Amino acid sequence: MKSAPPHPRWAPWAFLTPFLALFVIFTLWPLAQSLVLAFQQTFGPKSTAYIGTKNFTFLFEDPLFWQAVRNTAVYTFGAVFIQLPVALGLALLLNRPGLRGRAIFRLIFFAPSLVGLVFVGVMFAQLFQKRTGLINAGLHALFPAWDPEFAWLDNQVMPSLLLASVWLYAGFNMIYFLAALQNVNRELIEAASIDGAGPWHRFRHIVVPEIRPVATFVVLLSVIGSFQLFELPWVLLDNTAGPDNRGLTVVMYLYQTGFLVGDLGYASAIGWVLGLLLAGAAAVQMRATRLEGNQ
Amino acid sequence: MPRPRFKRPFELLSPGAWTIVTLALVSSAIYAAWPVPERPGRDFWMFSPPNVQHYRAVLDAWNAQHPDNRVNLIQIHYQALERRLLAAFTSDAPVADLVETESRTMARAFAGPLEAIGFVDLTERLHREGLFEAINPPSFSTWTTRGRTFALPHDVHPCLLGYRADLVEAAGIDVAQIETWEDFRRLLGPLIRDHDGDGRPDRYLLNFWDTNFDLLTVLLWQAGGDLFDAQERAAFATELNARTIAELAGWVAGPRRFCVDARDFTAGGDQMRLEGTVVAAILPDWLAAVWRSNIPGLAGKVKLMRLPAWERGGRRTSVWGGTALGITKSAPDFEKSWAVAKHLYLSPQVAESLFRTTYIISPVKAHWQLPFYHEPDPFFSGQKVGAMYLAEAPHVPPRIASPYMTLAMERMMAVLVSLKAHAIARNTYDAEALLPEARRLLADAQRDLSARMGRNVLYRSAQ
Repeated sequence: MKSAPPHPRWAPWAFLTPFLALFVIFTLWPLAQSLVLAFQQTFGPKSTAYIGTKNFTFLFEDPLFWQAVRNTAVYTFGAVFIQLPVALGLALLLNRPGLRGRAIFRLIFFAPSLVGLVFVGVMFAQLFQKRTGLINAGLHALFPAWDPEFAWLDNQVMPSLLLASVWLYAGFNMIYFLAALQNVNRELIEAASIDGAGPWHRFRHIVVPEIRPVATFVVLLSVIGSFQLFELPWVLLDNTAGPDNRGLTVVMYLYQTGFLVGDLGYASAIGWVLGLLLAGAAAVQMRATRLEGNQ
Repeated sequence: MPRPRFKRPFELLSPGAWTIVTLALVSSAIYAAWPVPERPGRDFWMFSPPNVQHYRAVLDAWNAQHPDNRVNLIQIHYQALERRLLAAFTSDAPVADLVETESRTMARAFAGPLEAIGFVDLTERLHREGLFEAINPPSFSTWTTRGRTFALPHDVHPCLLGYRADLVEAAGIDVAQIETWEDFRRLLGPLIRDHDGDGRPDRYLLNFWDTNFDLLTVLLWQAGGDLFDAQERAAFATELNARTIAELAGWVAGPRRFCVDARDFTAGGDQMRLEGTVVAAILPDWLAAVWRSNIPGLAGKVKLMRLPAWERGGRRTSVWGGTALGITKSAPDFEKSWAVAKHLYLSPQVAESLFRTTYIISPVKAHWQLPFYHEPDPFFSGQKVGAMYLAEAPHVPPRIASPYMTLAMERMMAVLVSLKAHAIARNTYDAEALLPEARRLLADAQRDLSARMGRNVLYRSAQ
């Protein structure tokens, strides 16, 4: 039998070269440059000065940076503990046997993630407006005591942001959970039912362990996505961080510092610290998942 | 022993791999050969949508008369324009010859030493051609840093008060008696109404809110305050600013509140103006044209008046916004670009077109007697809109440009937001009682901004 001719040794490299070239030029090189920048100060188009670790020392004493970290952490907490349970709940509802119109519901819940962050920001900015916004007008019509000037985007920035993001992302994450739920072994659930396990016990002891790998992935994605939050609050708050920086996120602070103030060095330092925070969060989560899996 | 067979070239890769290679080569060849249209003449970037209509007609005529100095008008959203402009200055990437830019963008372009600024320094040229005398002096302030001017001013942007004349006159109120903001509150106060009986007013007197930092700075400048000193250092923790902020807190909260948040450029805000939820608004010339185009239902119902002053005999106007034309250092032929700039900004015909399209008055003092500025305008109930704005032009407050302008404005907004919260928490809205807290908040905010500016070794050395 004639064996297939082996590919030449250089063939994989030939195919990898275009990607590697792009990766080096557009990822590795800028990454290295940003690391250098993090130890410099920039001001204006041509002025750069080496300042050692001063960007990092200032960062750790900078109340605005910590406010941004706090706001981002609050949003992340909300994304994980509100948005994902809502997504899982929707997935469980759509996974019910015998449900009619499953595809239509799936499309309806998923549709918000098709429209894009900026559109959602603009739309919710209209919805949250005082007096003329649908939310205040509706609440005032239903409950006359409701203040039509309730300032969602002044005083309740984070809840407003979470509401918008639940609307946007719950359907998207639901698709992951739904796919995982459809792979849960039906025989196990039937066997548990025969043995007298109720819905909660079946969910807790069969469904959750079966969907854990997907859930871990979705949580990790949500945490990373939440820490990168920028466009939604930026549009929702009319290109600002909101009153008293109540909507300031880490990436928004990076943008303001780098592109509104022009200090690309400090912005790079913020970017590196954000990257390290994310890497740390991912490592902790992976380790926790592995430990849980071993048990 | 069989002789090894040399592979034929097409056998080196599989058919699939050859397909990929072929596609890559063909697409690269197409990309390389794709003709890039050459644009002869000068590129002109601008951001303002209302100005497009005006410029198109002006530049079509210019291009027909000057085939050797054609101008390509390119409209870019102002944020995209700012990013492209500053990125081009940083990286020496291609940039337009002429750039019409907004004051905050220009302030950011001023970062760094003077010689690093990407626009041509026009100071000597402006002196030589007598333009510092010919143009309204305050119009230069935002385009000048460290004594050097880098752009030709497009406008003055004085502010008047636009108000619902139908409502005011129906109530028998004579606005001629209003001289100060206190008069405004007292005389127009009866117009604050609770139409639906829910205990909350459904009509307020003025469009202003503590989170609107544009209007906040307009009012601060009117009062005589500023955010930076002549050396471009943060200098907003002043007694004057503290008094203004303390007064403003009582405008937006408490029993004497008379302001409402009716944002410009929003459908909700326009609806509030149309329905009479808000009676008056601070109205620079450019915003008057936005009202005319976006809220045609106000035609014949609105009038203009001078801004009430902060104190008797005080300034009856302020300034909001600003645009200018800069020539980039990379422009290959400065004289040709300068000729275009002068035609766009100094010609009386173009000034007329600008005013008729946008209500924007020219900063060129010689044009102020031209008849089109003195025609009655039906939208503003037959008032001579141009003449009213021109009367305020010499009194527009000068402003100091700084790359830290946006941060300073946000700090001021945060101070007012905090002061309002303080007032609500203590149920104290009297300006005198709020003054100590206003001073403290301003001092904290200035300390924070100064620390940020001070840690910038390059900013210090550039001053």
